[in-house]
Amino acid sequence: MNVGVAHSEVNPNTRVMNSRGIWLTYALGVGMLHIVLLSIPFFSVPVVWTLTNVIHNFGMYVFMHAVKGTPFETPDQGKARLLTHWEQLDYGVQFTSSRKFFTISPIILYFLASFYTKYDTAHFVINTASLLSVLIPKLPQLHGVRIFGINKY
Amino acid sequence: MIRTEELHSCNGTLKSRSGQKQTENYTLKNGYHKNEKVQKNGNGFHQPRVRGEDSFEEAPMYVAVLTYMGYGIVILFGYFRDFLRAVGLEKCHQAQEREEQKDFVPLYQDFENFYKRNLYMRVRDNWNRPICSLPGPVFDLMERVSDDYNWTFRLTGRTIENVINMGSYNYLGFAENNVDFLKTVAEKTRQYGVGVCSTRQELGNFSIHEELEHLVADFLGVESAMAFGMGFATNSMNIPALVGKGCLILSDELNHTSLILGARLSGATIRVFKHNNMQSLEKLLKEAICSGQPRTHRSWKKILIMVEGIYSMEGSLVRLPEIIALKKKYKAYLYLDEAHSIGAVGPTGRGVTEHFGVDPKEIDVLMGTFTKSFGATGGYIAGKKELVDYLRCHSHSAVYATAMSPPVVEQIIRAIKCIMGVDGTTEGQRRVRQLAENTHYFRSRLKEMGFIIYGNKDSPVIPLLLYQPGKVGAFSRAMLKRKIGVVVVGFPATTITEARARFCVSAAHTRDMLNKVLQSLDELGDYIRVKFSRHRRPYRPELYNVTNFGLDS
Repeated sequence: MNVGVAHSEVNPNTRVMNSRGIWLTYALGVGMLHIVLLSIPFFSVPVVWTLTNVIHNFGMYVFMHAVKGTPFETPDQGKARLLTHWEQLDYGVQFTSSRKFFTISPIILYFLASFYTKYDTAHFVINTASLLSVLIPKLPQLHGVRIFGINKY
Repeated sequence: MIRTEELHSCNGTLKSRSGQKQTENYTLKNGYHKNEKVQKNGNGFHQPRVRGEDSFEEAPMYVAVLTYMGYGIVILFGYFRDFLRAVGLEKCHQAQEREEQKDFVPLYQDFENFYKRNLYMRVRDNWNRPICSLPGPVFDLMERVSDDYNWTFRLTGRTIENVINMGSYNYLGFAENNVDFLKTVAEKTRQYGVGVCSTRQELGNFSIHEELEHLVADFLGVESAMAFGMGFATNSMNIPALVGKGCLILSDELNHTSLILGARLSGATIRVFKHNNMQSLEKLLKEAICSGQPRTHRSWKKILIMVEGIYSMEGSLVRLPEIIALKKKYKAYLYLDEAHSIGAVGPTGRGVTEHFGVDPKEIDVLMGTFTKSFGATGGYIAGKKELVDYLRCHSHSAVYATAMSPPVVEQIIRAIKCIMGVDGTTEGQRRVRQLAENTHYFRSRLKEMGFIIYGNKDSPVIPLLLYQPGKVGAFSRAMLKRKIGVVVVGFPATTITEARARFCVSAAHTRDMLNKVLQSLDELGDYIRVKFSRHRRPYRPELYNVTNFGLDS
């Protein structure tokens, strides 16, 4: 069960997001999260949408922009050790289909959340801050950049 | 009388192959053949061969979604378990650095062990099972149990006997205790000793090594051959001697680690084409010819295409006629790794060159191993005499590695003579035919049952797709309960959705063994629901015995 036995991929993290069905699973996961939150009786619909957006963005931030390296040993002697999962995607090539999809999807969720919160000011501020937390690290200009040394080592 | 005819036929095959020219294949401009048939002139022994297509059926989309959800759940549980270990609620079984060293830079990256301690550990009883007998068609396993969820094992002292071995690369069944075979091996051991403490270039060149190399060259139908004591090193130590800086290597996506290591050690530029995708290969060749080397745009010194005969985890066969057409069109070299395919495909076991009816002289470097079909160790490189003579002087294995052990050499010589028929028997050819028959039978029955299997219909490597990670462990454990040993593979060894069980059919498997395996697979496939194929079930062909109808129930 070592990396690369049945394929020659050095870092499987680069290809996971390109697999068949991963986008559908992601969309279904977000939908499931929303339905679960809707089932909680004390939350109103605007609160549920804001919570969906915030939880989704928090999860995306953690798994794509905070976690670095690979969960298994790779034969490249740890070259990807300091890279986030987003930076490992497609070997760092920008504007691939996966990068476009995962950049647009939080924006779409943000639009939906804004619509269903009827553009309330408090919800708007929370949703916008949450969106920026996952959109700014995805910018091509910030590939490998660590502002103020955040998440540098 | 029958024996004499067989011998004559075998010798005639060899003679006609080297003596006569190939019929010119009609090739379209883009390198593809006008028809699928590849013919051979002169000898009626070979029929026109239709190349069977590789099958790579995809499972329905819901299977992929469930696979990702399964991985997501186990990853979240892994994080939860890491949290429990951090706060001390769960015991940490693995090695840790001492508390006094916590201010130093850590020796290991903790996250790189995440997969191993949280996902692999719970299922690792399915791998690395100790055996205690010869790995023939059946073998014995040591029974081991775990009291702490696979962190440690203990042996109970009992053995699981007569487990059907579907995991070894024992294609022709030469992993056996055959008294007649081992007699001459014992004689050579007494004559030469068990080891050679020198390299081929120095005092380690015995006459038995020379005999083996002549025999391999005759077997393959090429001018010359050279044998090496280690199969992996045949690739990793000889590719750096063939290509270097300023050369280009076009490597198939699924090439073996030894090929990849050899390519990296060579210092040449490596580009990867899609698996068995001739459009992808031709695109890379065109770009290499037109653009040349990066930045300077000078011509490449050499372009080497590296492919395998049978891909060991995919079961697919190389598209050899198409690659040879591309090689000729773009003036590239071809390195063919027949580690699995030599002995395992072809009407007389001479590999994919015979399977496709291709002249072996058209392939620049023929590589193979003795570790699979011949029941030995080591590998060979064969081709033109100038190539082999060059490798004798420049190969890292020839200069630094010890020569092959003489009893191993004799085992290989016996096996090759058996396959060629020059030992006076037809046992070798019987095994080659038996392997082809077992392969076709096993593959067609698995397809009938509704499993998704990969690879070519003539390939004895049969990956059975399981997809979901939870089913990998369930499948392997349930098969061992039924006394069948299988090899299972999952992510990150494969891509994330293609976990599989890999069956290797052997000529030594009897029909009863295969029927038992097939019956167990049928029951287990329904039980854990891994029959994902959407093809229509065919009517039962006339080929099979009527007595097998009882397996339907």
